[in-house]
Amino acid sequence: MSENTKHPPDAPTPARFQVSRFTLLADTWMGRLIRFGGVSVVAAVIGMLIFLVCQVLPLFSGAKLESLTPVTFESTAQAFGEDEYGELPFTCDATGTLIFRRAYSGSASAPGAVVKTWSPALAPGQKVTALRTYPRDGLVVLGLSDGSVIEVKVSYKIAFDEKGGRTPQPQIIAIPAQQLGKNLLPCLDVWSVKGPNGHLVICRQQEAGRDFLTAARLTEKPVQVVQGLAPALKSFSIASDIPDLERVLVPSTADSVIVIRKDGEVRVYTVDEEEVTFLQSFRPFASQPDSRIAAAGLIFGNVSLVVNSYSGVEEVWSIYPQVQSNGQSLRRWGKIHDCEALAGAGKGIFPAVGNKCYLTVAGGRMQIRNMTNGSLRWDAPAPASEIRQVVFSRNYDRLTVLSSDGVLRRWSIEDHHPEASWNTFFGKIWYEGASAPAYTWQSSSGADEFEAKYSLVPLLYGTIKGTFYALLFAIPIALLAAIYVSQFLRPELKKIIKPTMEIMASLPSVVLGFLAGLWLAPIVDANLLPLICLVAALAPAALTAGFAWSSLPQPIRRKVGPGWEFAYLIPFVVFCGWLAWQSAPLIESTFFSVKDVASGQTISDFREWWRQNSGWSYDSRNSLVVGFVMGFAVIPIVFTIAEDALSNVPDALVSGSLALGASRWQTVWSVVVPTAISGIVSGIMIGFGRAVGETMIVVMATGNTPVMEANPFNGMRTLSANIAVELPEAAVGHTHYRALFLGACCLFALTFVINTFAEILRQRLRERYKVV
Amino acid sequence: MTQPNNDTSAPKGEPWVWFTSLGLIVGLTMVAGLLALVLYNGFSVFWAPPVPIVKLSDGTVLMGQMAQRRVRPDSPASQPKYERQYQVGLRELNGASYVWADEAKIVQEDFPAQTMGLERMENGPAFVTPIAFVNSKGQRVLFKKESFGDLTREVEYATEIREELNTIQRQKIGAVNAKMESTRIDLRRAEDRGEPTAEIKTEIAALESEFNQLREQAEKVKEKDALAKIEARDARGRDVVLPMATIVRAWLPNDMSAWDRVSLFFSRLREFLFDEPREANTEGGLMPAIFGTLVMTVFMSLMVTPFGVIAAIYLREYAKDGVVLRMVRICVNNLAGVPSIVFGVFGLGFFVYVLGGSIDQLFFSDQLKYNNNTPVFGTGGLLWCSLTLALMTLPVVIVATEEALSAVPRGIREASLAAGASKWQTIRDILLPASAPGILTGVILAMARGAGEVAPLMLVGVVKLAPTLPVDMVEPFLHFDRKFMHLGFHIYDLGFQSPDSDAARPMVFATTLLLIILVVCLNLGAITIRNRLRARYKGASF
Repeated sequence: MSENTKHPPDAPTPARFQVSRFTLLADTWMGRLIRFGGVSVVAAVIGMLIFLVCQVLPLFSGAKLESLTPVTFESTAQAFGEDEYGELPFTCDATGTLIFRRAYSGSASAPGAVVKTWSPALAPGQKVTALRTYPRDGLVVLGLSDGSVIEVKVSYKIAFDEKGGRTPQPQIIAIPAQQLGKNLLPCLDVWSVKGPNGHLVICRQQEAGRDFLTAARLTEKPVQVVQGLAPALKSFSIASDIPDLERVLVPSTADSVIVIRKDGEVRVYTVDEEEVTFLQSFRPFASQPDSRIAAAGLIFGNVSLVVNSYSGVEEVWSIYPQVQSNGQSLRRWGKIHDCEALAGAGKGIFPAVGNKCYLTVAGGRMQIRNMTNGSLRWDAPAPASEIRQVVFSRNYDRLTVLSSDGVLRRWSIEDHHPEASWNTFFGKIWYEGASAPAYTWQSSSGADEFEAKYSLVPLLYGTIKGTFYALLFAIPIALLAAIYVSQFLRPELKKIIKPTMEIMASLPSVVLGFLAGLWLAPIVDANLLPLICLVAALAPAALTAGFAWSSLPQPIRRKVGPGWEFAYLIPFVVFCGWLAWQSAPLIESTFFSVKDVASGQTISDFREWWRQNSGWSYDSRNSLVVGFVMGFAVIPIVFTIAEDALSNVPDALVSGSLALGASRWQTVWSVVVPTAISGIVSGIMIGFGRAVGETMIVVMATGNTPVMEANPFNGMRTLSANIAVELPEAAVGHTHYRALFLGACCLFALTFVINTFAEILRQRLRERYKVV
Repeated sequence: MTQPNNDTSAPKGEPWVWFTSLGLIVGLTMVAGLLALVLYNGFSVFWAPPVPIVKLSDGTVLMGQMAQRRVRPDSPASQPKYERQYQVGLRELNGASYVWADEAKIVQEDFPAQTMGLERMENGPAFVTPIAFVNSKGQRVLFKKESFGDLTREVEYATEIREELNTIQRQKIGAVNAKMESTRIDLRRAEDRGEPTAEIKTEIAALESEFNQLREQAEKVKEKDALAKIEARDARGRDVVLPMATIVRAWLPNDMSAWDRVSLFFSRLREFLFDEPREANTEGGLMPAIFGTLVMTVFMSLMVTPFGVIAAIYLREYAKDGVVLRMVRICVNNLAGVPSIVFGVFGLGFFVYVLGGSIDQLFFSDQLKYNNNTPVFGTGGLLWCSLTLALMTLPVVIVATEEALSAVPRGIREASLAAGASKWQTIRDILLPASAPGILTGVILAMARGAGEVAPLMLVGVVKLAPTLPVDMVEPFLHFDRKFMHLGFHIYDLGFQSPDSDAARPMVFATTLLLIILVVCLNLGAITIRNRLRARYKGASF
């Protein structure tokens, strides 16, 4: 330090008093090193928190869309298609002509250049009257004026040149016109859906002002071409009696058809092979003044329907089990979400693939929303007055929009966590297929269409539940022991007993978890009621012993030296415990007799009684077992801190109280405990923190099911157990991975806040003792 | 009570004093009960009890060691009925190693002297009635009590041969394989870059021929004991032939002196501590897990001690006292209360994926490119485990060191400064030696916590079966990137992931015992040192 090396200005320091250069250097450098090391350790600790938060932040950001070069086509373009990478899009105009243009500059041609033009070969008198493209499947369907349809398959062959540059080449296979609808009536609309059980083609025609739908199942076999004659398809009729048909939606599973009428009624038909059954009819906006449906779209997975009204109301309807009037539970459509109001009448709903997002065009804006949590991912002005078609790419990384001016506008999407929002993690959500909104954690399933459920609420609930049972058991024992050890126990015994309790803190939690799950759970299962009786008998037994001893004459009382009470109590408590254990069968047969469902006989079994009378389940790995075993982890912590606080109460206070004639219990209860109360509370809080974060015990001793039940006889899944079980399998950077990080952040924050409070309490206690 | 009192009734509130002592009783019972349970179950794994032949009323005959007795789940609590579980072994014949038998159905229980227990390399143990055995030279000897010594020697010979085989297969062939793999990566790289490959190819050919030679050598060793076998009969009278090469140990459970039992106990204990696991970890030893735990703990303490001590010295001696310091101190203290799994999450996210991933990109890009994108440090391993636990135990060391530093009386410090020592000299020569026991306590506590922790390790690199040790004789000797086995994870894996939970049970108890002994000893050490320290600086606040 500089003070040490300062020389007095007047008298020169003799050489023998001068500090050697090495010492000075060592001092400076070690000082720097220690400062640097200390600061970096502290920084590392804080960096850890920052890192965790950084991993979580992307969850709460919206979608980032970046505009790519638009490709200008003719304004007559009605629909479009594109290849997987969006390099060579095409449009289809009203005559069925496909025009391919290059989107990027390739080695062969400039961007925007026409690469290929194709027109359907039509018989004389035939005209294209309806068309529809399926860009993701490379499919174009054309409906003709005579009721026949042409399917065009567009595929891309990729040619590589020497430099590795890729040039996609379109390849078009047109299946000749096949008669589908009624002859000589023009097709007004066509659909073609590649379902898992076969290809379904549908056309809409009109006869005498009445709409009707005709469908056919196509086989993948090539069609025999017979001299320009359109081979007739084996067609069947769907919903031939619908007045005012306005819109038809065909799910990609090709197993049903949803028909929307002009007055806002939605009719659902199931199509099983060629059998058509009417399933249900519903009106989404029945309560609105204008019940017409302005736009509708099926969300990926085909079980949810988003509908918009002309006044901008948006709702989501989904199919889920509903109890019918006859008591049967059937899968029917019902409303699951009321969404935020749109800026104007819906002009189109375009779903994404691979997730539950969709784009709505309404009131001059394009908005991407997530159906599950209703979060707005992206909002931008619509580029033109009329949007003809919007398609998301298969990986949800590109959005292509065809507007009425013939421009194909494209955006690249960066939205890694479309299913994440505040609501996802902490809100009550009505998931697809569920009968009511719920807090659910279900992170993965086999199916692609699966709606991931990342609600942290059941995990928080499980955490609090486990902690509650642990503390319920641990706090009384720890505090009683702390009071006894600090105030009454003989000092020489205290020297042995304190370390013994501390040993308890060191027991690895994996050991406790193993014993809880494999050893204790079966024992508790077999002897549940006797154990409950035993535990219940302990406190009365101890109090009885105390009262009995107090009422004994003084000479006998004197034999029990102060600080030795516990030794005399042990045999009595053991005896009472044994008695309680033995009386359990009697109690069970008196109070807990139930009729066995299987045999019809009356049996006395508490577990069965619980199942039948509480309406809750009974698991052998339940909260009571977890609570008891977590006690091993929590008791020593609470005990040590509370004991310290109690023993450090200044002697003057205790002596004063005793001198004034208070008994030792009165002193403890009215002087020592109130003085040390902040230390005791701090101990409880730190115990709480430990129980919240306990992992292995919970993983091993509960069933790990994320249920939200207060039932003491079933398990739970805690935040920490959830991380331990699922993080090793989570894909890096995926929403699931980040959701688990969010869980870890919650744990961190929870324990950190609690511990800080505890620390502040303890500091206050120290101040108080200083004053005294 | 200090003044004369003529009132002979008990002081007020005495029953409550008795009531508080209940807390102590329950707490002590819990500790004692748990330790007793683990000690009893852990040690009884190594003890060989007599093995009965049990005849049941339905005509079934069992021969096996009793494993458990429990109340039948279907019996009412008022009239409990019991059932017993026997380890009958011979899984290839019996299908399952463990059989439950209703106690009410047992008609007869014999303990014939010639019953023999055999521990085997696979399919569980065997309990049989021996008839004869064939020794390694091919001579058949009828089994008598007197020839048991010869049989034991045959078993020992078989063990020797197994060890010899093990040396060839695991160590020599393993080294050749490792070399082969790295050479193949070299070859792929050379091919990719268009460099000459002839030299590498000859090297590979040389390695392949070495590999084949070693395999031939192993076959020859195997030949030496191919004839030896034991012919026996099982409980149901079926003939069993047990090749000597599969037998680990033989004993006569019903015809042993107490001394024999004790020596069998120690022989099993030795195997448990120093041998490798077999049968999906349910039998054999725990050496890799013990070794892994030790190596990890040592690395962890090597990392945590200097950083913890430096941080504590900085906080106590250098940092300016103020609000910031107090906040930092609270933060550090609180970090000790942050759940261990959070550190695991951080370890996985930061150390493994960010740090490990970048190390792989920077230094092992060749390895990634030519070895099917197999990460080196970008996956869990010893280094990341030690670092994660070091971070987790850092607050323990910091807090202990700070307390020890603050316990050094002010006078000593000032005396040193007054005598002309520089600040660093005071720290080095006065403060650190004086607080060494405190620091040691912190480090031991950190080690105990690290050794017993499992949750974070599950995320950052512990596996249930590692083919190699993290430290061995293959360059570079210390394999920081390797995954390793750990006692705590062993308990979790065996107890909860094992397909045959009955067979795993004894092993889990034994492992539990070992882990508890390890952790409790470390803690007792720390407590002892702390108590001594307290006595030394009595009056200083802790």
